[in-house]
Amino acid sequence: MTGKLSRLACLLLILGIIGCEPQKHPVHHDQFFAFGTLIDVSLYDVEQPLAESVCRQIEQDFMAMHASWHAWQPGPLASLNRDLSDLEAGSIESSTLPLLMEAHRLSRLSSGLFNPVMGNLIALWGFHDNALPLGTLPDSAAISEFIAQAPSINDIKIDGTRITSKNPSIAYDLGGIAKGYAIDRAIDRLREAGIHNAIVNAGGDLRAIGQHGERPWRIGIRHPRENGILASIEISGDDSVFTSGDYERYFEVDGKRYHHIIDPRTGYPAMETTSVTVIHDNAVTADAAATALFIAGPDQWWSIAKSMGIRYVMLIDTHGTIHINPAMQSRIHFESAVNANLSLSAPLQ
Amino acid sequence: MTRADQILILLAVCAMPFLYIHLWFGDEPARLVQIQNGSDTPIFETLQPDRMLRIAGPLGESIIEVSNGRIRFASSPCTTKVCVHSGWLTNAGEFAACLPNRISLTLVGLEPRFDAINF
Repeated sequence: MTGKLSRLACLLLILGIIGCEPQKHPVHHDQFFAFGTLIDVSLYDVEQPLAESVCRQIEQDFMAMHASWHAWQPGPLASLNRDLSDLEAGSIESSTLPLLMEAHRLSRLSSGLFNPVMGNLIALWGFHDNALPLGTLPDSAAISEFIAQAPSINDIKIDGTRITSKNPSIAYDLGGIAKGYAIDRAIDRLREAGIHNAIVNAGGDLRAIGQHGERPWRIGIRHPRENGILASIEISGDDSVFTSGDYERYFEVDGKRYHHIIDPRTGYPAMETTSVTVIHDNAVTADAAATALFIAGPDQWWSIAKSMGIRYVMLIDTHGTIHINPAMQSRIHFESAVNANLSLSAPLQ
Repeated sequence: MTRADQILILLAVCAMPFLYIHLWFGDEPARLVQIQNGSDTPIFETLQPDRMLRIAGPLGESIIEVSNGRIRFASSPCTTKVCVHSGWLTNAGEFAACLPNRISLTLVGLEPRFDAINF
């Protein structure tokens, strides 16, 4: 009897020790540069030849979209902007039309806070360049003149691929949704290839589908002011996580930070917000909403989120207070105690 | 079963909880770094021993420092220096990139704490 028990104990011991060995994670990673950022594609349990083939297709898609939609380098969008500034009819490739329609829809839903036609204002601030502007503020009179012209999607008429405008200050800059739209197309591409467990991450903004084997995908949200992770969320199914922050592209003049998220109402960077994180089931909406809610700031984010149909929001203001809706609070896991600075809103839905 | 066998089994049983926690739930320090240089095939380097790596990009040479199992951009020919200000990378899954010079560093481990980082 004692011998049998000893053999059983040994067997259980061996099984226990075998269980300590972590499973190898069959994730295929692929990286490439596009849209001025690093694109990272993670595919769970996909055969190498299929993974490489679909990642190369996605890379080609990103390159083509980047070339078509570039706001300041020669290309179809720059050509359209020239026509519109001359108050002449312009045209757009039929493949770009869905993106343009999405930009208009999201601008309307955000009450114009996401404004895809203020390319000239972005250029005034010097953000139409790969290098950051160094220590020079734009002429305040030029900003006032731009604001007086108030370019918006309401000035534009789209008839098929023919586009006309009655406002010469109109210039499309689709940087606020291009990454999101491209990520959505990449997810379409993956699903067409039969891949249902993946993350497409474009410079920190991402969409995750399916999960990582037996567990959800684990996403860390970087702290906007410190090294390290502020919080984490888990995704099983299909969610996009987008963050807009004042730390992404900025320059400083006399110790003051001027970042790239410009308020279309004032012509100046929105100064009450440090970062906004949005979760939504499609990336293009999450992308535009992150920008719009950043501009809306701590006083207006809730109403804009509601009108845009966003269910999960976390906004960190410049005083360090975290504004969050109950659904997001129940979904997010903070790394350290932040409750002292937490401001819980009314439910969004 | 001898007394030595019994002691060995007891030690193994005592070690199991630690092994489970360490291997399944711990923050795993990275073992390798994946270096992407433009559209070239990525290369992998170990995080030991301490050394300086020099990677040539379109703007010039980015200098990467490996020290105590960590890695960082020590210097870069870009104007923004965002990559240098990213600081040290330690845990699997973390990454830093110099977009102007088209070089990125991604730490790789068996079981990274996060599958992706949002920012």
